[in-house]
Amino acid sequence: MTGRSDAVGAGSSASTAGQSPRRQELIAWSFAAPFLILFLVFMAGPILVAFVTSFTDFRVTDIRNPLAINFAGLDNYLDVLADPRFQKAAANTSVFVLVGVPLTIVLGLAAAVGLNQGVVKARALFRVGFYLPVVTSIVAIAVVWRLLLGTEVGLINGTLSIFGIDGPGWLSDQRYALWSVIAMAAWRNLGFLMVIFLAGLQTIPRDLYEAAKVDGAGAWQRFRSITLPLLRPTLLFAAVITGIGYVQFFEEVYVMTQGGPLNSTLSLALYAYSQFSFGNYGYTAAIAFVLFIAIAAVTYFQFRVLRTD
Amino acid sequence: MRTQHKVGATLLAIGMAVTLAACGRGDDNGGNGTAASQAPEIDTEGASGDITVWAMGAEGESLSVLADAFMDEFPDISVEVTPVPWDAAHDRIVNAIAGGEVPDVTMVGTTWMGEFAALGGLEPTPANIDGGQFFEGAWNTTIVQGTSYAVPWYVETRLLYYRTDLGVAEAPASWDDLKAAVASMQESGAEWGISLQPGGTGAWQTYIPFFWQAGGEILGEDGTFTLDGEPCVDALTFYDSFFEEGLTPPAAEDVPVEGRFANGEIGSFISGPWMINVVEDAGTDPAAYAVAHQPTEAAGTSFVGGANMAVLADADNKEAGWAFIEYLSRPDVQVTWYETVSALPSVQAAWDEEALSGDERLSTFGEQLEDAKAPPSIPTWEEVAAEIDAVIERVTVGDTTPEDGCAAMQEAAAGIGTGQ
Amino acid sequence: MSTLAPARNLPPAVPASESGGQALGGGSHWWIYVLLAIGLILLVGPFIWMVLGSFKTTGELRQVPPTWWPQNPTLANYEDLFSRLNFLGYFFNSTVVAAAVTAGNVIFCSMMGYALAKLSFRGKKVLFGLVLGTLMVPGMVTFMPLFVLVANIGLVNTHAGLILPFLAGGFGVFLMRQFIGGIPDELLDAARVDGAGEHYIFWRIVMPLCGPAIATLTILTFLGSWNSFLWPLVVATSDTMYTLPVAIALFATGQQETNVALLMAGSVVVIMPVLLVFILLQRHFTQGIAMTGIK
Repeated sequence: MTGRSDAVGAGSSASTAGQSPRRQELIAWSFAAPFLILFLVFMAGPILVAFVTSFTDFRVTDIRNPLAINFAGLDNYLDVLADPRFQKAAANTSVFVLVGVPLTIVLGLAAAVGLNQGVVKARALFRVGFYLPVVTSIVAIAVVWRLLLGTEVGLINGTLSIFGIDGPGWLSDQRYALWSVIAMAAWRNLGFLMVIFLAGLQTIPRDLYEAAKVDGAGAWQRFRSITLPLLRPTLLFAAVITGIGYVQFFEEVYVMTQGGPLNSTLSLALYAYSQFSFGNYGYTAAIAFVLFIAIAAVTYFQFRVLRTD
Repeated sequence: MRTQHKVGATLLAIGMAVTLAACGRGDDNGGNGTAASQAPEIDTEGASGDITVWAMGAEGESLSVLADAFMDEFPDISVEVTPVPWDAAHDRIVNAIAGGEVPDVTMVGTTWMGEFAALGGLEPTPANIDGGQFFEGAWNTTIVQGTSYAVPWYVETRLLYYRTDLGVAEAPASWDDLKAAVASMQESGAEWGISLQPGGTGAWQTYIPFFWQAGGEILGEDGTFTLDGEPCVDALTFYDSFFEEGLTPPAAEDVPVEGRFANGEIGSFISGPWMINVVEDAGTDPAAYAVAHQPTEAAGTSFVGGANMAVLADADNKEAGWAFIEYLSRPDVQVTWYETVSALPSVQAAWDEEALSGDERLSTFGEQLEDAKAPPSIPTWEEVAAEIDAVIERVTVGDTTPEDGCAAMQEAAAGIGTGQ
Repeated sequence: MSTLAPARNLPPAVPASESGGQALGGGSHWWIYVLLAIGLILLVGPFIWMVLGSFKTTGELRQVPPTWWPQNPTLANYEDLFSRLNFLGYFFNSTVVAAAVTAGNVIFCSMMGYALAKLSFRGKKVLFGLVLGTLMVPGMVTFMPLFVLVANIGLVNTHAGLILPFLAGGFGVFLMRQFIGGIPDELLDAARVDGAGEHYIFWRIVMPLCGPAIATLTILTFLGSWNSFLWPLVVATSDTMYTLPVAIALFATGQQETNVALLMAGSVVVIMPVLLVFILLQRHFTQGIAMTGIK
């Protein structure tokens, strides 16, 4: 994650040559100070406090006497890892990430390629339209999706029944619920990725395609040999953001299924939230930091695998 | 920031789902709760100064109407009402107590009492206010560890709503009657005779009354959980039988029940007074349905919820706060409140007034309120309730038997403890 | 979807043309239009349903089977919103807060990003790692400590209390650092040789070159801040400090039931400014992402 600063470092020493190192430092701090003060007080501070509480038995009943709480060592962390609900949530979250990330990327890429290649007019319309679910309130989206996926009254099952097919409980059957949620998440987020891929596609020089066409390469071939390789950095970028976001998936399950049926859609973030609402603050902090480690690991892993240099 | 956006938006969504909300917490420690200890009497006659009051929802907005009338009568007191959305009101109050930035008076969901009192955030109710004037179940919701910490403001309870045009002539009186009625509605054309919650958040509010009707108590004499045993097995088996016999939709239907009740697809359901407006809005013909008292076995107990009014322990002006709460407990003021927002009065005397005694549906609610309980006011109730919900889901889906389910409930509850 | 990945440094001189770069290299095909149009309908459909729903009554919205076009279109929900809510007041609060948070982030994060990218000082790497790390911690655990802090500083129920905690976001630093890192050092050195001070260089040379990144940061920060609900709810002890999402939740969600129609209308109203910002800035946004080192 932090491996990028070497290139930057080389530049900076040249840039401030001619001034005393002390002076350079002071100037640098003058730029950093406003941000740092606000950041340390309002962002890092509370996180540190939360981290400390993860080693205590802090509960809601302690809030008026915060100093009376007891040190609990690693108990919270051990309890978290041993909790079957946590394990289920971890399994669900893994499926969500492993399936959801590629799915959203494929859809976003398809939309971007289609928009880039095939469409000249109304491009802005498509762009805004595809991006709309990203900015629409999750509440409104949930209302609509529940209408679609309702077992007996849903639009999807209604349409299927016209063909004589008895649709399953998309949200109410524990075998299907997680897949339905993945589908909804991909639907919602593909617009965001589409915009990113569109940007990436812009940077591929046109002449490469022209040359390939002249050489007789077909559309799919051009895609495979030119587009995909040159898009690799974008793909890394997209995979990482989506990965980080999906490890923390919460909204979709909160409004659609509340983690059910039978915990089949329970996500790590939702699990943390329910503990938070019970007032088990120390325990919740432990879950949060376990989640943090998971996110950091996923990011690092994606980096190692998809690095382009 | 993104995370905050996420949390924010989802909390907005709390109102969309059938949530555990703030309803129905009380203390069923032994049941004879009116004998609760209270703080010594305080002088509310001479109270003066400013107070801030937090009230939830759009009703909170309407509270200013009552506040104005109060200020007319008590010109030395100035009341500022701040409406607060239901969704995150609980979190807001918790944070306020933690940060020391509390109002003088706040509305409190009955299910939050145990938690707030246990952390020392609420003032004990002074002896000026007599607990006997309220419905017993409602008064019990204010009692935590033997002391009363709030005053019931409005109440709600759950009745059976059923279609009268589907072959059911009279209200079912016992469990067997209920089963028979539901079955006959299904034969007369309803797709589902009843809609019971198969699990998920808040399912306990539908199941626990059956547990009480079978003679069960959530906490035993010694204050520990008694969730298993024969009453549980009886109640859970009865509950599950509707699912086994195909009398209720097997899965949580995300489409609101009122639409399907309106067009006769669903024959009956169990819910509270707010559903009257909701089902009629969705198109149900008022003449085609009725409400009925819960069926009676060992008892005919229903669930009582609603909201209480409390003074915060860190409040600046407690006397004036209690003066306001005293005012809100007057029968005539309770009736005015009912007329403003249709919330049922917690004071029994208010029900003798014409506005309420004349309406048939309302009197059924009034009758039920005399036999209604709430779960114990313990700080860990939310967590225990979530475990109960999970067991109900497993039983109705067929994952486990009622006997094993009862044992699981008890084990989980005992593991969590009462937090006291 | 909360962070951008660290990416390569990139010379900002790459032209990001809109009409160039055809991925498949062909001309327009009608079938692509069709596919995209279908996709568009699927994606925009719920939004349209939401808008249509805002003209219905809650009763109609609860009907089974659901209706598409309003049976008796009504403006009552919007009337309710604008009259019952102190709409202008809440709109003002939302605007002030979102604008301040956005402006603050743009300025402070750029400055920090510049320091990290182009200046040298001790602890730079550690600081950057720290900033990145905070992006990966789920926000809910910081809530109560943050509130207690704000309460102790005396900022409860003030605009400052709504704004200050979010003025310094790690996301902005990340974005700006990557982008600024791509600006050629030669440009800056030339200015230094001419005797320009760092602050002059930053404001007069670097920032103007950062247009796309600033646009990106603006859109995303504004979106997050505008929609924020929980923090304003907790920090505002009286309703004069409520923001729009809080106010809408107040009126639309009850203890037991939800006024769905009002919620739909509220959602439509809340989404408009965000959409507007997106539409106005979206061209830059595309370029902005391209610049942060996709290639």
